[in-house]
Amino acid sequence: MIAVEQLTKTYGARAALDHVSFEVPQREIFGFVGPNGAGKTTTLRILAALLEPTDGKAYIDGADVTKDREKVHSKIGYMPDFFGVYDQLTVGEYLDFYAACYRQPKQRRQKIVDDLLALVGMTERKHQLVDTLSRGLKQRVCLARALVHDPAVLLLDEPASGLDPRARVEMREILKELQGMGKTIIISSHILPELTELCTMIGIIDHGRMRATGSVRDVIARLSSGRRLRITVIEERDAALEILTPLAFVRHAEAVNGAIEAEYDGDEKTASDILSALIGAGIHVSSFAPVDGGLEDAFMRATSEEVG
Amino acid sequence: MNEVVGALWNPIVAKEYRTRMRTWRSPFAITLYIVLLGGIAWAIFTVMSLTATGQFGGSPTNYGQQLFTFLILFQVALLAFITPALTAGSISGERERQTIDLLFVTPIRPFSIIWGKLLASLSFVVLLLVISVPIFSLVFLFGGIELDQMLYSFAVTAMTALTLGFIGVAFSTLFRRTLVATVAAYGGAFVLLAGCYLYGFLFPVVADPNATTTPAPPAITLISPVIPLLTIATNAPVPLYGVRYPNGGYGLAGGGNSGACATQPNGATFCSTAISGVKGGGTLSPTGVVQSGGGPTIATGLFQGWQYWQASIVMQVMICLVALGLSALVLPPVHRFRLRRRPAPARVQA
Repeated sequence: MIAVEQLTKTYGARAALDHVSFEVPQREIFGFVGPNGAGKTTTLRILAALLEPTDGKAYIDGADVTKDREKVHSKIGYMPDFFGVYDQLTVGEYLDFYAACYRQPKQRRQKIVDDLLALVGMTERKHQLVDTLSRGLKQRVCLARALVHDPAVLLLDEPASGLDPRARVEMREILKELQGMGKTIIISSHILPELTELCTMIGIIDHGRMRATGSVRDVIARLSSGRRLRITVIEERDAALEILTPLAFVRHAEAVNGAIEAEYDGDEKTASDILSALIGAGIHVSSFAPVDGGLEDAFMRATSEEVG
Repeated sequence: MNEVVGALWNPIVAKEYRTRMRTWRSPFAITLYIVLLGGIAWAIFTVMSLTATGQFGGSPTNYGQQLFTFLILFQVALLAFITPALTAGSISGERERQTIDLLFVTPIRPFSIIWGKLLASLSFVVLLLVISVPIFSLVFLFGGIELDQMLYSFAVTAMTALTLGFIGVAFSTLFRRTLVATVAAYGGAFVLLAGCYLYGFLFPVVADPNATTTPAPPAITLISPVIPLLTIATNAPVPLYGVRYPNGGYGLAGGGNSGACATQPNGATFCSTAISGVKGGGTLSPTGVVQSGGGPTIATGLFQGWQYWQASIVMQVMICLVALGLSALVLPPVHRFRLRRRPAPARVQA
């Protein structure tokens, strides 16, 4: 549904995007993760045909974003990382205005507005001025605005930015519902844990370069080259560290909050070898478990200078 | 056809009407406008009455003409203050509110965005012109001004407001900040109204001392509505404006210095100075009412044979088209035509 090929955008000598490529199949939720200034917004603006790339191609459902702009605009719902609301317009009028801009027939617009307000749970706010809404409610209105022409693709730039935990959960529920409606969604964010649950795919971008892309599990596995174990022993912590440190496959071991954390290269067999070594040396192990760094860990690794 | 109607009457117009009229600023501007225009009318009338009483003179015809002249010029000046304020924030305001991208991703074309903004702003200006009609109708109590003079004057005034609106939107498109766009729009208004008018004093046409016709001022001076409005109101060319005689005199070879008259190419006779309150250029009917409400025709130059107001409107239309074209060219986020395309750098190896 979305294909990005060697996308490059330069501003003078600085490359905002450096040959970025990824694909998002239909009905997937693609989490676009990266620190501030990594190139997320630039990529989304190019996909929304609001910015011309210096080089490379991008397609939305087969439509070239540099050549078939009108076709691209008809297929996408774009929600930028700011609200973009007008003073003096009620929620209903605001959505009706954009529905009219998208050339929705006048007789259908009222139903569209009512349906969208029901979707984002704001039916009772229809006659409230948009500018007086809270941040979370504005975000919901902006999401509704992106849906007025029933687009197949949603490009959401930091939709959860600045929201309180409850609003984030509500936004996540709405996005899941949209996925159920068959939408293909790209979400950019630097709030990582919520993407772990929501997204089916992920792309990590840093300094304009795509560090990793694929399913959430694959990306985490690919980036987690050094696995971690948390080991709790009974009164023999120093002895346990003396046993672990010389082992060839243990990269690093240290005492952390009353337990031992050991980073190692290998798989589950290697973990069982570590446990055997400890038990063989007479260490009383009370707990032995892998530490799951999840997306946060993968992100930190991917965006660190060492990982290319 | 539907495409054209859709481009000219688009949702932006309705939205602009709605948001504009819901603020306190619009009723305040309307009230202030009427108070100022009514106030100046009252002040002028009072001064004229006192002057007439003191001198035991003054004709009612002259009252009406003078009142009209002051009012129409004051109205243009007022609109020169109001129109840039209405239009200079139209596009830059969308940028500052960060709503412009949201419009760009809709099927609405950049031209329609500009047109919608213009139409909404200029509708407000038209509203101001319409509500000023009762004040201008005071002129008819005294006579001296015909209905067609009023209509031509309003046409020039409306065209000037339109031009200032187009200039305001063009600057609003060019500059990202409303403050900068507003300053530039007021600068543009000053150049258009005062600058072009002063050009006639600074760079007058050098008249041939042997010519039998009064040369017209430089064409550029007619961009300003001041001279066209004066010619409509007085039904005569403005004496000694924009023309310099090499011998230092003021008259033509065929006439004297004062009250010199010349024959126009169209056969009409013009006098270069005032004749008993009603300045030359028109022909006097038996009842003393000046005919040919559009004022005199231009004697020489690019617009020879045209009336001053016609030339002014044509030049302002050209400015509008340039401003509209410039706005439509600059506004789109992605331009169709580029002078050159920079090659992308090779991928940086980590």
